[in-house]
Amino acid sequence: MASLTLNKIVKRFGSLQVISDVDLSVEKGEFVVFVGPSGCGKSTLLRMIAGLEAISGGELRIGSEVMNDVAPAQRGIAMVFQSYALYPHMSVRKNMAFALETAGLPKPEVEARVNKAAAILQIQNLLDRKPKQLSGGQRQRVAIGRAIVRDPQIFLFDEPLSNLDAELRVQMRVEIAKLHRELGATMIYVTHDQVEAMTMADKIVVLRLGKVEQIGAPLDLYNNPANQFVAGFIGSPKMNFLDATLLSSDETGSVVSLAGQSLRIPRGLAAVHEGRVQLGIRPEHAMLSSGDIALGQMEIVLVEHLGGNTLLYGKLSDGQTLTVQVEDQARLGMGDTVQIFANAARCHLFTGDGRAFAAV
Amino acid sequence: MVGAAVQRQRAGRFVAMREGYGFLLPWFAGFFGLTLGPALFSLYLSFTKYDLVSDPRWIGMANYVRIATADAKFSQAMHVTFTYVFLAVPLKLAFALSIAMILNKGLRGLPIYRALFYLPSLLGGSVAIAILWREVFSADGLFNQVLAVFGIKGIGWVTTPETALYTLVLLTIWQFGSSMIIFLAGLRQIPQDMYEAASIDGASPRRQFFKITLPLLTPVIFFNAIVQTIDAFKAFTPSFIISEGTGGPVNSTLFYTLYLFQEAFAYFRMGYASALAWVLVMIIGSFTAVSFFMSRYWVHYDE
Amino acid sequence: MSERAEERLPGVQYSRWSGIRKHTMLCCVSLVMLYPLLWMVSSSMKPENEIFTSASLFPSHFDLSAYKRGWFGLDVSFGRFFLNSLIVSVLSVIGNVMSCSLAAFAFARLRFPGRHLWFSLMLGTLMLPYHVVLIPQYILFLNLDWIDTFLPLVVPKFLACDAFFIFLMVQFFRGIPRELDEAARIDGCSAWRIYWKIMLPLSTPVLATAAIFSFIFTWDDFFAPLIYLGDPTHYTSQVALRSFIDSTNQSDWGGLFAMSSLAVIPVFVFFVFFQRLLIEGIATTGMKR
Repeated sequence: MASLTLNKIVKRFGSLQVISDVDLSVEKGEFVVFVGPSGCGKSTLLRMIAGLEAISGGELRIGSEVMNDVAPAQRGIAMVFQSYALYPHMSVRKNMAFALETAGLPKPEVEARVNKAAAILQIQNLLDRKPKQLSGGQRQRVAIGRAIVRDPQIFLFDEPLSNLDAELRVQMRVEIAKLHRELGATMIYVTHDQVEAMTMADKIVVLRLGKVEQIGAPLDLYNNPANQFVAGFIGSPKMNFLDATLLSSDETGSVVSLAGQSLRIPRGLAAVHEGRVQLGIRPEHAMLSSGDIALGQMEIVLVEHLGGNTLLYGKLSDGQTLTVQVEDQARLGMGDTVQIFANAARCHLFTGDGRAFAAV
Repeated sequence: MVGAAVQRQRAGRFVAMREGYGFLLPWFAGFFGLTLGPALFSLYLSFTKYDLVSDPRWIGMANYVRIATADAKFSQAMHVTFTYVFLAVPLKLAFALSIAMILNKGLRGLPIYRALFYLPSLLGGSVAIAILWREVFSADGLFNQVLAVFGIKGIGWVTTPETALYTLVLLTIWQFGSSMIIFLAGLRQIPQDMYEAASIDGASPRRQFFKITLPLLTPVIFFNAIVQTIDAFKAFTPSFIISEGTGGPVNSTLFYTLYLFQEAFAYFRMGYASALAWVLVMIIGSFTAVSFFMSRYWVHYDE
Repeated sequence: MSERAEERLPGVQYSRWSGIRKHTMLCCVSLVMLYPLLWMVSSSMKPENEIFTSASLFPSHFDLSAYKRGWFGLDVSFGRFFLNSLIVSVLSVIGNVMSCSLAAFAFARLRFPGRHLWFSLMLGTLMLPYHVVLIPQYILFLNLDWIDTFLPLVVPKFLACDAFFIFLMVQFFRGIPRELDEAARIDGCSAWRIYWKIMLPLSTPVLATAAIFSFIFTWDDFFAPLIYLGDPTHYTSQVALRSFIDSTNQSDWGGLFAMSSLAVIPVFVFFVFFQRLLIEGIATTGMKR
């Protein structure tokens, strides 16, 4: 186990800068998830940590050592690839033993470590098979096993579950989380799936266009997103953003006008800001009954029954669209009108350029 | 600190260099020692008179001037080679494409036919086949024996100047198998749903061929044509065997490469032969360049 | 018609006759194409006087004496020639597979400054007619005193001079997922170990294809042995066949056909056993043979 520090890490391909000034510190034993839309640079960043991509600028430390130009094998990391990257011509046992044999470890020790890892992952009965005789989930385990045997300081996962079907994905998610607890290892995990990020991470790093948007614990990101992008990216269904006008703002909160109503939201910006803002309300926080602020009437355009809850898509009186998630099965249909309420404490405000108002 | 980083990067680059160039070592030796070096040397030789015994003597453009103006045998070789190339290649490709079209229509026994048609193409480069061909078309050879069955008395096809070259054209067409395989692979690339869409749109099979198959196959046709033409310009063995190295009868099978071989290794005019080699490069090069230029007007690329 | 039409796809014209017609036509074409080959083999087993008097494939009685006559038809026996061909071909296979796979690995997988330049130069040599380098190479080998040895035929193969095989392998290597190399790097492999332990074992199809074509091309090669080999004891089978027709044995057609038949056997054997590899090799790379 080791800590990891990124200091102003930059990656350039020619004149194109794909990673800009990333600062991050990962504590020993922490489970950190890099999340972001495709092309945000999360995989590139992971590959730079692994040593598969050269670092154009900045400093990478694992433990206390600078690792910028150290060969991948000498960094004390292990990586699980999206495609698993199992050597197709080697048995599972060989796959897992390969790194140790390359390092010249004595045979009995190689065997002991392979067996131990196989036991952890419960794949002892697969050891003599070739990768193509395995199911997707089994391959995934072997890929993780190959990482475990090396006893790395840091585990790196590059979207490891994206090739699995939905059911298996949930199952493996739980297992990786369990494995993290058992091994107590530092893990860095890349995904584009915010659900995976929310469920697995101690700490989430949200990336967009090669820049860090926010770093924090899952619920922090959910409750206090630093900007509109993070607010929209974390949480499902996506947060509603409504155009509103800021009437006043101070350290005790802000007043905005939306569809002709004045709403007091307990969020503020140090510098007083006036004009157009975005009011953010998560669908699960918009309600049909009580609430301390009222958003007015909504005409329902579409209803999705999910069984356990219901999604209502509708239009407010000023024509802005809104999604509302209600518990259980709502007996509502297209064309019905409902009154929408919310709790002011769960509303968010964003400036025109996307910065969040802080909670007061 | 910046200095250290630069130094480390240099070290990393050095490892990459060492690995890359290490693996390329044999290729470098071959490239410089047996390809680039010789090519440059032959360019130099083409401006000299050289007989292997005395030193090369610089004569400027004299070899090229003679090739262009005063060498009747060169003109004959050009005539023979061009006739051969522009007869054999189109016929071979047309034949290969027709057979591929027939085979592609889900016919049973495709692998067997494909194998049988490929066999001559695989064996064809050998001296044995050239010898066989010579005997098939000799005065009392197989071809005339078959003609005799129909009461026709044939001539010695390989010994008659008017027909000798055509037996070589036939030999080339006979080896259509590999082109056919490439066409078959190309035909298989055309998605079936395109034909399904076309039949729903009411296109007849004939229209489908001209509007779907042929346009989508043009890259493969182009590729095949280039490869086969370049190869045909370089043909040597059959004309050497059929004419016993002379290019006869009456220089009627004097392929360019055979003429070059004679100049170099029968008369030891190494300078002149080098000039001939470079003229061949120019011919093939300009042919390829023109083809690529023309391809814009008829070759259909997806991207 | 209406009864059967129900089983058919609508609007598609089915004809049993078109299938039969096609098969008949294809069979005829195959027969015409293969007849000369069959004739060669059968002629080698006919009594001498029947070769040019009957187009039939079936000898009146089998007579294998031509094989014996042909085998010893030249001053040196054909056993020697076939052995020479075998030596040259096997060495060429080893040389080509080794040297070309090394170069191909570098081009396909390693990142080093200048690799694009070298790769395009390598592709350029694909286009360069052999005749341009022929004379200087001859002079070089002459000065090295290699004329009349196998060295001029074999050494270039160890120096990756057949760019075509490099190209073939680069194409294949590029199809192997890069993650495997990366996983191997993380597992501590050097470039050499990745090449040896990952790349080569995964490339057996292309290595086999290259080996087989390399063997066939070398076995059938006529030009280089013609130029470089002078002493009949060094002849390869192709040059020997040629001197067979030049020699006073002109009239021994049986012997000539017998030796020609033997000379195509190795190629034929590859054809029978590795047809699929050969056909795939051609289909994917567009080789000319």
